[in-house]
Amino acid sequence: MTVLDIRNISIDFPTSKGVVHAVSDVSLSVPQGRRIGFIGESGSGKTTTALAAMRMLAAPGFVSEGEIHLNALGDTDILALSEEEMRRVRLRKISYIPQGAMNSLNPVMRVETQIWDGILAHEAGVTQAELQRRSDAVLEGVGLDPKIVGRLYPHELSGGMKQRVCIAIGVCLQPDLIIADEPTSALDVITQRHVMQTLREVQARIGAGLILIGHDMGLMAQSVDDLAVLRLGELVEFGPVRQILENPQHPYTKELISSVPLVGGESFLDPTPAEVPKGFTTQDGTPLLELKGVGKTYGAVTALHPMSFTLDGAVPKIISIVGQSGSGKSTMGSLMLGFSPPSTGEVLFKGQDINRIGKADQLTFRKQVQAVFQDPYACFNPFYRVDHALKFPFKRFGLAQSEDHVQEAMEEACRAVGLDPALVLSRYPHQLSGGQRQRLIVARALMLSPNLLIADEPVSMVDASLRSSILKNIHDLKDRHGISIVYITHDLATAYHVSDYVMVLYKGHVVEAGPPKDVIGDPQHTYTRLLIDSIPWPEVGRDWGSADDARAALEELGRIGGTPQTVYRGDIPGFTLRQG
Amino acid sequence: MGVQGTTDRAIPGAARGPGAAPPELTARQVRRMKRFDNPWRNPKLIWGAGLLLSIVALGILGRLFWDTDLVFTGSGMPRQAPVGVENIRGQIGSWAHPLGTDVSGKDLLALLIVGAPNSLYVGVLASLIGMSTGIFLGFTAGFVGGRTDDVIRVLSDVMITIPPLLILVVFQAAYGDISLTLMALLIAAFVWQSPTRLIRAQVLSMREAGYVQMARLSGASTGHIMFREMLPNLVPYLFGSFIANVTTSIVTAVGLEVLGLGPQRIPTLGRVIYDAINSGALIQNLWWWWGIPTLLLAVMFIGLLLINLGLDEVSNPRLRRL
Repeated sequence: MTVLDIRNISIDFPTSKGVVHAVSDVSLSVPQGRRIGFIGESGSGKTTTALAAMRMLAAPGFVSEGEIHLNALGDTDILALSEEEMRRVRLRKISYIPQGAMNSLNPVMRVETQIWDGILAHEAGVTQAELQRRSDAVLEGVGLDPKIVGRLYPHELSGGMKQRVCIAIGVCLQPDLIIADEPTSALDVITQRHVMQTLREVQARIGAGLILIGHDMGLMAQSVDDLAVLRLGELVEFGPVRQILENPQHPYTKELISSVPLVGGESFLDPTPAEVPKGFTTQDGTPLLELKGVGKTYGAVTALHPMSFTLDGAVPKIISIVGQSGSGKSTMGSLMLGFSPPSTGEVLFKGQDINRIGKADQLTFRKQVQAVFQDPYACFNPFYRVDHALKFPFKRFGLAQSEDHVQEAMEEACRAVGLDPALVLSRYPHQLSGGQRQRLIVARALMLSPNLLIADEPVSMVDASLRSSILKNIHDLKDRHGISIVYITHDLATAYHVSDYVMVLYKGHVVEAGPPKDVIGDPQHTYTRLLIDSIPWPEVGRDWGSADDARAALEELGRIGGTPQTVYRGDIPGFTLRQG
Repeated sequence: MGVQGTTDRAIPGAARGPGAAPPELTARQVRRMKRFDNPWRNPKLIWGAGLLLSIVALGILGRLFWDTDLVFTGSGMPRQAPVGVENIRGQIGSWAHPLGTDVSGKDLLALLIVGAPNSLYVGVLASLIGMSTGIFLGFTAGFVGGRTDDVIRVLSDVMITIPPLLILVVFQAAYGDISLTLMALLIAAFVWQSPTRLIRAQVLSMREAGYVQMARLSGASTGHIMFREMLPNLVPYLFGSFIANVTTSIVTAVGLEVLGLGPQRIPTLGRVIYDAINSGALIQNLWWWWGIPTLLLAVMFIGLLLINLGLDEVSNPRLRRL
């Protein structure tokens, strides 16, 4: 029995520049109890298709063709329902679990009250005792203690708990179909595994169909039965997830699968050339970057416990700092850039304390240490054309000989990162995609040719298919231009491939450090192991484990919490690390 | 059931409910959609600017085609009604004084030609000075932070609670006759607080923006970051705040003038109304005397309001409706 039938639907958005076809001619059905994944990049129409089934398209979008049938409604087309009839269908027949749980819960209502709200909107005359019983039951169903969590307000919950509350609300009326729109995209991998497993369990228990919208092939492989691949509003491939992963037919699906970097998989990078350009060297062996007992506290919170390392820049290297949100990895980045002073210790760049540099040398320091930030959308001033971001530092650092020289350097840098200078340089930021902007930032770093580059999550906000090519660009900075790089990331798979040395941070401590083949390929520390286990693998055979495993691992982690011991996994020449 | 009736109301143009059928756009809505391409072609903005320009035009054209010397006492017969209207004494207004005269025989048209632009001038000048102070203090507070921020914030918070009219009345009563420019300066002392707070808040949130970090990485000086990177992005806010300030300044100026505390020898709209009230124009039914300047003030305020609403829509596309 199918719970949802989407027949040849097309969705149009009329705009002043003509009609945009967001989705064209998509047909698919969701059988009872089965999980369907919608995968595609931003703008592929995956969310739009799902929202059409809820009749929640943003104005002025509308379904221009096709029919949507819900089994529970018999022969009636969802599109023919009146607004009031549709309201009664939502949540009771189809429920929706939104992307950002933090913005979806009402901040001034207790969790259980929000669940009662949903029940009361559909059923009249439910007694208070009955409401309490039902909200307790659903909260328990998502692994939350109803006695405690039910009485809390959303701001008192963690991100993962909030998302589980959203799941509880979504299933409180036992709908036929659950639509989950990237329910874990804002969560770190450990929490992601926990939330997805909860969702899967609950869905199996009530026997509803599930549509999971996402862009992560690994998550799909671990969570769904069938996979629909969407691209530019068209359904390019549909089938059982194993078949799609192991034998993709459409070239786009193949590309999507091959672009996922795997731990231990084949490298997506070009082989390192035999002759690596020389980095920074001095006679007396002053290291390029040295941290001496650097720690950072914000009031009572310790973001980073004191640690020391020296990075000798003679042979350029990529040092990865891996950790989840709140691990202190971005704090390290900002300390190394001199954006915030350390609470203890000192950061030395070429033997000079970067927080004691005089006004005159400030510019020289800035020229030698550059950065690539996480958000390519925020990095360009919307007021200027994008070339402003490249041109300004080039002139400011006195690298420019003439206007023509600036133009030439910009064009050369663009070509080096695979951008057509004529196409991008004279545009405004909003006219470029995230991937193009991030490449421009890499081109900017290349133009300035610093000695050290801090790359803070450079690909986490870029579409999956572009990630490897941008990382390739960054890797080239090391191989071809002799720039040492500190790569800050939460993604172990990319760190495995690009880096020469990996540090795993947990609550401001380095818990494990060494060459990536050892640290990520064969983790020893509990936390690192948990991280690796939580990565959803794009292989159906390699199972994620049960929710109980995840819970057990989290508990074990809770035990070591306080002062974890660093596990050193071997050294590489030119880099030494020390706790304290 | 009554409730049922209201929920099942027909939505015009979408019998199948929103999202299920093409939105039926009227020709008018399609035309309005075009406006999304160029936000500056906003009808509110255009109408507002038109109304304000009409005040300016009154000043310029009036000086060209009318004798402004008629503002002096005894330029004509007192209490003349506008053209074609009869006054208390049964005299029909003539073209010699198209809008009539006041009790001392001043020509009302000439008063308005000189007075209306004067009122606008005080408002714009006070607002300009207030905004410049606000930009300077707001940027300093937001960017420098620390003790400087504390001082500026406390100062503006305290100033915002003091009713300007109170201070101004005392000040003007003490100093007597003042010039338009001095009056603008005095008013400016009370309109810098809200732009300061607004800009400080914007600068604080913008300071962490990616492009500001990028500029710092590029070795940009503080001045460059403030005025070349941040300021251009604040222009819509500044515009809106400026217009709102002009309104406040004019209200304050007119308020003082109507109390008889403005410049004594320079015609302004408020001064004309003060004279009218003072000479019993309301009782003698000399409605043109106080009515026409009030109408001009209304035109000015509606114009400013429309510009402000229009600017809101320009900077915030969500407010634009089909």
